Amino acid sequence: MSGRELDNRPYDYEGDRRTTVISRTVTRIVVPLILLTAVSLLLQGHNLPGGGFIGAVLTAAAFVLIYVIFGLEYVQTDVLRMSPDGDGHSPVGAYRWLFGGGLALAVLSGLTPILFGYEFLTQGVWFFKHVPLYEEFEVASAFFFDLGVYATVVGALLTVAAEVGTE
Amino acid sequence: MQPTPEVVLAVVFLPFVAAALTPAVFRVLGERTAYFAAATALVCFGLVTQLSLAGAHGTVSYEWIPSLGVSLAFYVDGLALLIAFLASGVGVLILTYSGGYMHGEPGQAKYYATLLAFLGSMLGVALASDLISLFVFWELTSLSSFLLIGHYTSESASKYAARKSMLITVSGGLFMLVGFLLLVWASGQALPESTYSLVVLLENADAIREALTASGLLVPALVLVGLGAATKSAQVPFHIWLPNAMEAPTPVSAFLHSATMVKAGVYLVGRLRPLFLSEEAPLLGEWTLLFAILGLATMTVAAILAVSSTDIKELLAYSTASHLGLIVASFGFANEYGAEAGAFHILNHASFKAALFLVAGIVAHEAGTRQISKLSGLRKHLPVTAAIATVASLSMAGIPPFNGFYSKELLFEAAWYAGKEIGGLGYLFPVVAVFGSVFTFLYSVKFASLFFGEENDNLGHVHSPPATMLVPPAILGLLVLGISASATLGLGPETPINAFVGHVYGSVSPGDPHGFSVHFPTELSPYAAMSAVTILVGAALFPFYDRLHDGINALLRGPVRANWWYDGAVEGLSATSVRTIPSVQNGLLRTYATWALASVTVLALGGYAAAGVSLPAFEGFAITLPIFLVLLVAVVGAVAVDIAPSHVAGVLTLSILGFMVAIFYILADAPDLALTQLVVETLVLVIFLLVLNRLPAFYGEVNRSRAARDAVLALAVGATVFVTVLVTTAASPAEPIAGFLAENAGVPAEHPPFFTNAGGGGNIVNVILVDFRAFDTMGEISVVAMTALAILTLIRMRERGETQ
Repeated sequence: MSGRELDNRPYDYEGDRRTTVISRTVTRIVVPLILLTAVSLLLQGHNLPGGGFIGAVLTAAAFVLIYVIFGLEYVQTDVLRMSPDGDGHSPVGAYRWLFGGGLALAVLSGLTPILFGYEFLTQGVWFFKHVPLYEEFEVASAFFFDLGVYATVVGALLTVAAEVGTE
Repeated sequence: MQPTPEVVLAVVFLPFVAAALTPAVFRVLGERTAYFAAATALVCFGLVTQLSLAGAHGTVSYEWIPSLGVSLAFYVDGLALLIAFLASGVGVLILTYSGGYMHGEPGQAKYYATLLAFLGSMLGVALASDLISLFVFWELTSLSSFLLIGHYTSESASKYAARKSMLITVSGGLFMLVGFLLLVWASGQALPESTYSLVVLLENADAIREALTASGLLVPALVLVGLGAATKSAQVPFHIWLPNAMEAPTPVSAFLHSATMVKAGVYLVGRLRPLFLSEEAPLLGEWTLLFAILGLATMTVAAILAVSSTDIKELLAYSTASHLGLIVASFGFANEYGAEAGAFHILNHASFKAALFLVAGIVAHEAGTRQISKLSGLRKHLPVTAAIATVASLSMAGIPPFNGFYSKELLFEAAWYAGKEIGGLGYLFPVVAVFGSVFTFLYSVKFASLFFGEENDNLGHVHSPPATMLVPPAILGLLVLGISASATLGLGPETPINAFVGHVYGSVSPGDPHGFSVHFPTELSPYAAMSAVTILVGAALFPFYDRLHDGINALLRGPVRANWWYDGAVEGLSATSVRTIPSVQNGLLRTYATWALASVTVLALGGYAAAGVSLPAFEGFAITLPIFLVLLVAVVGAVAVDIAPSHVAGVLTLSILGFMVAIFYILADAPDLALTQLVVETLVLVIFLLVLNRLPAFYGEVNRSRAARDAVLALAVGATVFVTVLVTTAASPAEPIAGFLAENAGVPAEHPPFFTNAGGGGNIVNVILVDFRAFDTMGEISVVAMTALAILTLIRMRERGETQ
């Protein structure tokens, strides 16, 4: 049986002999942790090691891990709750929106300063005092740009992984 | 008076705006888009008239690329206004005519949009005074011509014709660009600073010419610019694209390939004439040798070919080339008659030739054929058309008292004086002029004769044309009569037509020109005799027209035809590239990688060698034990990749190398890099394993010589990277940017609640990425998105079977 035939047969992941129980269980536990780490890397990026790109690659790695262990269709039907359209491409539409939207967000975050009389891609920093719990809270406009980077990279990597994985 | 800048800009850019709107307008108006387009042309015509009536003369300039001295500059003078008048005026008529002609044809939105874009480009060519602007508009006319010739995209004849005209005119334009650059270089030698401005070049013509002569570049510059003009104006041997261009719808042929676009080359010759031809120019200088001979040769050869044509549009196409040759020859002669003849004939030719093309369109549309042998006696069905055709044909033949006679008379005058003053072989000029004109007479009379005589039995029912198709050629016919009347009555230089031609004459001649007027010859001068000989010999030969036609066709075989050379060259090139592809692009990734890497290595190392870069001095190792151990493991991993027995083992050992690099980053205090390296390495490993699923598990037999070649290449690439790193890190600027970044990345000690002048972040790497160098990052994520799109397209297209 070739790889394509394996991919195309009716899916039954309980009966899938390609992965072991151990790997499936570990994946269940590890993936939420990876995603949590990825998001925290994204958020803390301005002051500590991390940032949009690293967070994005880590997020993509988490999804690719699910692909490898559970297969593409599981991600589509059970994780993302999409109806299968037969050719195994349905999530790619969403990923395309993700990287398109990310790029748009990055460009918009660059254009917004122009409205306020600054140059293209000027980044500002706000400090809010007397915030409960934090006392002083910093918001950098660069975060929106970083969010754009994150979405673009996640969308692009997942597109590549889904397309290559379907092959 | 200085021209109003807004008016000049509107003239050039209004058609482009209208072209952009055309698809939307077409949805609303449908076939009546023709009148929208004609109205646009009419507005341009009105604006040009306003400029002309106001006596505008001068330059309008806007900055375009100030760092290179290139500007968007326009120059309004007699010659520019003449071409602008032709483009916009004939444009109005052609677009109106198209409303009738294109009824029910496919692709009308594209057709009108392209015609309007062409109109704007042509007005740009006429008015541009900056050499780069001129070149851009020049190539835009070639592009729109390409689209219009290939209007019927499914027919192979259209495609062949469009490619041919594109290849010839665009490559000619590139030669012209090189010629322009030579002129700019010469201006840098002759003037305080180099200039792209035609006006400045013309004002300092003597100094530029001296600079060119001193450096021996006069002839190269002349030939290069001449190539641009000759390809555009279909001069021998580049005349071959024009008859094929008749595949375009007839209004296009009338507009682009008779009245306007092909005039661009002639315009360029006229425009540069005062630059290359001083008042005291020798009679037989480089200019005259090039253009008088080129023009007369074209005039004669194309007239002979016109007699050999079997199709009315083909006949008119060769006749156009022939008349363009007449104008080029006139400009080529270094006397005032030449300048007058060229200036006057541009106007005359546009008037009668556009009328004749529109007549040909009516005949083809209503009689259903363009074969000369099948057409005769059309007068009964198309009386008005026949009258227009007769007037225009007689003017084309150079028969008095029509306007074509007067401009040809001026050419004879120019040729006669040139011959007389040069003496000896110089008399060939008038002789060749008369010889070519005899053929002009023959085909002109042949065209008129289609409307007379017995009606051909094979001709079916001939409809009468709609008014929109009849009025435009009628207006042109009246214009021919008007110019003829003005000339025959011998009106003075102040009358409108003569004053206008006088301005054009002023633009193409050096020094101060006198007023322009022509009059009917009343005494037997040598050139009047030349006209008489032309008409008498032509009339005597006309009964033998069919024999001449067959005789020329019998001679036109093999290498005698310029087409034989063109087709041979194009086919030879295609065959060569088809043969080369299998060895250059064989579909194997390793071939592409080999070529790409080898060229990068050779170019980079060659660049260093050429720049004389020296390697920094070696200062001894300064690494700690942990780093040494990590790098050692990395080297071991690298060696293991090379001897790995399978793909999976190879990929796994490769990732050892990657992870060691990550650890190296940690040891070198770069946590961000290390994190990135770790996650990327992981992801790449997983994707590799996904892909490997599709590949054979083991390598095939290893070819020894190929392995040796790859090893050498790998060593060379590694050496290149090594040298590059050494060289780039050796340079130490006085104030490294790191200092600025470190100072501004963090939160300032004293800061307001909102600030933009500092990064405000503790992680300097991230602040650089999203703030100081955010524009770079934006470029990078665009590349990431593009890569994803490319992979998506490649894989999807293959699955859908859309590849060829």
